Amino acid sequence: MAKKLELKFLNEENRTVTISVDQPIEPVDAVAVNAAMDEIITQGCFFSSGGNLISKKEARIVERNVFDVQL
Amino acid sequence: MAVSNLISSQLQLVFEDGLDDSGRPVLRNKNFNNVKTDATPDQLHAVATAISGLQQRPLHGVERNDASELFES
Repeated sequence: MAKKLELKFLNEENRTVTISVDQPIEPVDAVAVNAAMDEIITQGCFFSSGGNLISKKEARIVERNVFDVQL
Repeated sequence: MAVSNLISSQLQLVFEDGLDDSGRPVLRNKNFNNVKTDATPDQLHAVATAISGLQQRPLHGVERNDASELFES
């Protein structure tokens, strides 16, 4: 089923901003994810309603499962 | 005279997602909104490379979509 890698950042108002990536490489390389998140913060090219992204909050793989229900 | 004013930017990563029946790569776009209008190509390219490295599909290209409003000055 479809998996996503969610990169969660905190902005200047301490609110969460999520950037999601489809078809993540698995198993996840924590070092690579950390480096990519650091790069996104360093480059600072994204904004949010609560200002710049200033810190990493969490990163996680989210899997979506779909089951059809017989009607 | 009409002038334009940049109002929003979007980062678009174009990934190759397999091949179609005639052997050409199938391209899929992944868009990232909330890009600062004053972001530089260097910044966007660095971020695109970082994001691309976390997923499986080959990166075909990086695009930037800018929207401007036009008005009479």
